[in-house]
Amino acid sequence: MLVSNSGPDAAMRTAFRLLMKRLPGISPVESGTSPEPFISSDPPLLRSVQNVEGSSFRVVKIPEFARSAVSGFGAFLDGTQQMRFVGHHLGVPIVFGTVAAGVRVRVNRRLITWGDQPPRVQRRIYLPLRYLPPLSEIRDESPEMAAANWEIVDTSTADKNGEYPSQHPAVLQERARRAVDEDRDRLEDFLAEAWCVRAEAPIYIDGGISRSERVASSSCAVGVIKSHRTLYFDGDAMGKVLGLRRGERTSVFSVSSRSRNSVMSWYLRIRDERGHEPMWGLVRIEIAECDRPTDRADEISRWVLAETTPLALPDGRWDKMAYGVRDCEEFLRAIS
Amino acid sequence: MSEALGRVVATERKPNTPHEFHFWTAIDSPVGIGTIVRVDGAQPVDGHIPHVYGIVVEGFSYTDLQSPMHDVMGHDGSPTAAGFAATERAEIRLYTAAVLRQIPEEPLQPVPMGQVYLADEADVQVALRMDSYLREGANTGIPIGVYRAGGTDAVIYLDADFLLGPEAAHLNITGVSGLATKTSAVEWLLASLFKHFPDEKGSIAAVCFNVKGPDLCYLDQPGKIEESDAALYEKLGVEPKPFESVEYYAPYTAKGHALNTFRNNEALLDNVTPLTWGLREVLQFAEVLLNKDDVDAKADALIDFITMNVIDKEFPSDGIVSKNHRVQSFADLDAWFRDVLQGMEKKDGESWRTHHVATIRKVRNRLSNISTRCAGLVTDSGTVSDLPFGSFADRTVYVIDVANLEEDAQDLIFARIVSKLREHLERRDLGVKHLVVFVDELNKYAPGDGADTYVRKMLLDIAERGRYLGLVLFGAQQFRSQVHRRVVGNSGTGLFGRMDPDELSTPGYAVLSPATRTKLATLEKGQLMIRHPHFTQPIFVRFPRPSVMQGREGSERYPQASDVSLDAAILRALRPLDSTITLSWVQDLVALYTEEELIRARNATLLARPENVKAYFVSQFRKVIPAQAAPRPMAGSIKSAPENDPYGF
Repeated sequence: MLVSNSGPDAAMRTAFRLLMKRLPGISPVESGTSPEPFISSDPPLLRSVQNVEGSSFRVVKIPEFARSAVSGFGAFLDGTQQMRFVGHHLGVPIVFGTVAAGVRVRVNRRLITWGDQPPRVQRRIYLPLRYLPPLSEIRDESPEMAAANWEIVDTSTADKNGEYPSQHPAVLQERARRAVDEDRDRLEDFLAEAWCVRAEAPIYIDGGISRSERVASSSCAVGVIKSHRTLYFDGDAMGKVLGLRRGERTSVFSVSSRSRNSVMSWYLRIRDERGHEPMWGLVRIEIAECDRPTDRADEISRWVLAETTPLALPDGRWDKMAYGVRDCEEFLRAIS
Repeated sequence: MSEALGRVVATERKPNTPHEFHFWTAIDSPVGIGTIVRVDGAQPVDGHIPHVYGIVVEGFSYTDLQSPMHDVMGHDGSPTAAGFAATERAEIRLYTAAVLRQIPEEPLQPVPMGQVYLADEADVQVALRMDSYLREGANTGIPIGVYRAGGTDAVIYLDADFLLGPEAAHLNITGVSGLATKTSAVEWLLASLFKHFPDEKGSIAAVCFNVKGPDLCYLDQPGKIEESDAALYEKLGVEPKPFESVEYYAPYTAKGHALNTFRNNEALLDNVTPLTWGLREVLQFAEVLLNKDDVDAKADALIDFITMNVIDKEFPSDGIVSKNHRVQSFADLDAWFRDVLQGMEKKDGESWRTHHVATIRKVRNRLSNISTRCAGLVTDSGTVSDLPFGSFADRTVYVIDVANLEEDAQDLIFARIVSKLREHLERRDLGVKHLVVFVDELNKYAPGDGADTYVRKMLLDIAERGRYLGLVLFGAQQFRSQVHRRVVGNSGTGLFGRMDPDELSTPGYAVLSPATRTKLATLEKGQLMIRHPHFTQPIFVRFPRPSVMQGREGSERYPQASDVSLDAAILRALRPLDSTITLSWVQDLVALYTEEELIRARNATLLARPENVKAYFVSQFRKVIPAQAAPRPMAGSIKSAPENDPYGF
């Protein structure tokens, strides 16, 4: 997933002009300024899990792993999001967001866009309508205005507990960020589900697969998670995970939560971490539950290791990122 | 409409201009350096969708790799490991194209964003403005080759008005030696020209100076044509056959027995004519042979005096000259000089008719020397065998073989023939309306630096004024940069074969992109880059192998005859005129006459080409009464002497 705060493009400027007509009193924010960084504020967590491979949490050396290992992945899926704090109305933040997702299929070792489902790009305005005056209707049916008439997402709705967010700008921005995240997740899930219906080949999904039931239960979906805000181990297991060497994985464990679907997972070190921080080159892999987790984990680990070349440089996350994922992001950056 | 093969792109760092644009293509697209493409603009300008035609002049390929080090790291420093990578990096093929033409031509705007298509044959015609001279009823196109790219085979035409005048004229061809590109291209172009030159523009002929090797010596003999060449000939509308009408001219060797040409094999002599000149012909061009530092104003004055008052005139005896002279040959001239100098010595005079004795001696020395330096070409006897000035034939190639001659003789031949051609074209009585003169080795004859020779002045004159007369120079050289700028600058059309990299690094080629220069340095046989006034950018084409026998093959099949004996030489010269002549007949005559007389008679016979060759040849000799044995006097009866008569009475 790529998060970007790049400057406004022409479409965004037009949409902003239209919004200013509908909501007089907006104060634009100079390009590139942002009162608060749009980064996740999820707190780091440690979660205990249930082992499904063997009786104890252990380190497994991937068998038959060699440089010439062949990857079984036939496609890559990733999403991107761009957010921009474009102005405020008496302190109430106005956020424009663009989310995109796409599948890149590998044909003859080159990546091309999946023809069955074209990449999705969605542009929206994220407004806390509860704290803004009513938007006036504009009767302008010109093609330019029609194109600029972006969908508006209310970020001030009550949560599942029936509570509304406070009017604190940072809270409202965080609401907007979550809304953008959810939009991107929806696009990614849509494409992942579409792929799993056809199940042409295993797909490398950047991130987890547990949000969607169909994806979480598909044998062709493999989620590879690069961020480790939540660590699925504790106690003695931490030393084993962080001490993994390249080509080693942990035993398979089950990840489940009330809001998500249950999947099997394990940690894999895809690059030699010596001289780097402990998480360097460490990914967590999610797959659908299966009967022979050991064989499946070994096979998929070999595939993921085979995807470590070519390098995803110059992306800063290249130690964990497959080149196919970088290709997806570059592609989505080009079209969104 | 064909499928788009690329898209125009422009960035702030690399913007498009009215003259250049950039586009990308798929990895496997058939685009390369020299490919002609068409851009269809997306937005109308003045109500018209703009179409831009361009030729690819540069290509770039790169991946998303930021540093080569990343690739090394990615494959653990092992190049073989790269083959195991599951995915190949995203790669771009980015091309730069120079604009050939924009339609509409006004307003001239930067090339718009749009789809890029491979130009088809019709597009190529428009792109190169060939549509303006390939119109029905006004077609002046001369096929020069075929442009090939991505399945497009388009004939490229030169405009005859810009090749032979009067709009522009002359052609210059450059290329390294040894690849047979220059000569082959000229041979092919002459064939195409003879076939396609419009009838309404009049007659055309070519004079080719063969300055080295035997390449031009077999133009009337069929060559080997491969299937691919045959297809090219068909596409270009030219029959793959040798020239139908070719005349060869060559002087004799210094001994005067055989013709000094690669084409002196007996089987090929029927259209080889000796080239011999006498005193009058040479003296007109004495300047070519005489050293300017040597021949001052006084010597010039004496030469003028001789030209005006001595040559072909009755020169009466006077106080110095002892007898009447009629000077018609170098031998006569030498006799005249000898008489003058002897007369002055007798009178002990220092000057005669204002000419100092030293000047007379110097001019005598220099002029007499000419017949020695140009032996075989210049005859003492004054016999003239020349090109058919005044009766040049349409679609005929006249080859003058000077390859084996000394430099002085080459210069003399070149200067005199070109001058005569020019004179006749000025008077419109050459026999043809347009004449192509092909000269190789322009490096040597019209160098950019060095002495201002007579030949160079003549070439400059042709280059600058020839097109008004119908006299067109097809020049060739290995190093264009070393040819006089006004000669190459006045060449409307330029052909470039494979080039020497050193030559390409000279400033004259700076206008070409690095990729174009590299392509020029690696061109295959049969490929040319063309510059023509209608084309705003050089174009690459293929041309067929000439359908004439190549020099190497010709010299193997028809080996050059070695210098032969006098009787054999005469037999070989006369037998094409009369096949009944035998060696024994010639030998009978050789026994009677001097070598000089025999050669003179042979030359006269070849020149006259009489009905009765034997009779004419014999008539050239002085009467010789064969020696007859004196009749033995009748033996009288011997009187018996009286025995007593001691005196015999």
